[in-house]
Amino acid sequence: MKKPCSKYSSEDINRFVDNELPRDRYHELARHLHHCSDCSLLIEQYESISIVFSDHADQQKLKIDPARLKQRFDRILQNSQKKSLKNAFGFFGRNIYLKLASITAILMISLFTFQGGLFDPAGPSAIVKSVDTEFASVMIIETQKEKHTIIWFSET
Amino acid sequence: MVRFIKIILILTGISCFCLFSQPAFAKNRVLTDVKVIHASTGPKYVDPSLKKIVSELKSVFKYTSYRLLKDQKLNQHFNQKGRVSLPGKRTLIVMPSGMEGKRIRYQINIQKNNRSIFQTRVLLKNNSSITIGGPQFNDGVLLFNISGSLQ
Repeated sequence: MKKPCSKYSSEDINRFVDNELPRDRYHELARHLHHCSDCSLLIEQYESISIVFSDHADQQKLKIDPARLKQRFDRILQNSQKKSLKNAFGFFGRNIYLKLASITAILMISLFTFQGGLFDPAGPSAIVKSVDTEFASVMIIETQKEKHTIIWFSET
Repeated sequence: MVRFIKIILILTGISCFCLFSQPAFAKNRVLTDVKVIHASTGPKYVDPSLKKIVSELKSVFKYTSYRLLKDQKLNQHFNQKGRVSLPGKRTLIVMPSGMEGKRIRYQINIQKNNRSIFQTRVLLKNNSSITIGGPQFNDGVLLFNISGSLQ
């Protein structure tokens, strides 16, 4: 933009249009405009640009439909929830072999734990079902540490 | 997703088959190990092969000497009798007669001069042992440590 008057800079003019100048400076420039046609023209140009911008912004604002906006927002939210669920289930992404391996490992571990639990039952090393002897003194003892079973009989 | 569920179902099926078909392929041999120990109040001694069991026995008995007199391994079928000669004209007869739950059912008989003096039926934990003791021998007592493991 052409600016032959050198008293005020383009920035001052711009700030004047936007009403951002200090009060005394604003009034000073307003007085200057009465006799400076160059600055007046420049201010007109700036104002027209400013109007075009604000009109465009208003038009964009009017174009936004709150219902559609809410719909879009809901859709985005749903998508993000789906993604998070997908991440939770697909721990290893798309690698099916890794998934299979992990499932097999879990099954094997649970199976062996289950079997191990059955093969190593808790309790004493031996459960005495019956004792038959002609001797009067028979004792069944279980040690504290390893729960080892001892049957003691006296021949006398 | 359907494919994924199918795969899980197949794997679960295989696992269930392995678990429930186990009795069909069950082990039917038992390795019985009979250790004849002489325990006495003599000079302190523990046979190196008895260290593990003696640590348990010491918590119950006052004996200071534990000597291994005999160690006999018997590879038995179920209902097959195994005989172990013991000091003092005694004989130990052990017979694994089956499984009860996850324990080996044993019938143990001690004879002296071909006459039964002691009989017991026990359910032994697999890879575990029981100690039977009491007969007097050489200023001490005899202990019979019987362990069983499925083969």
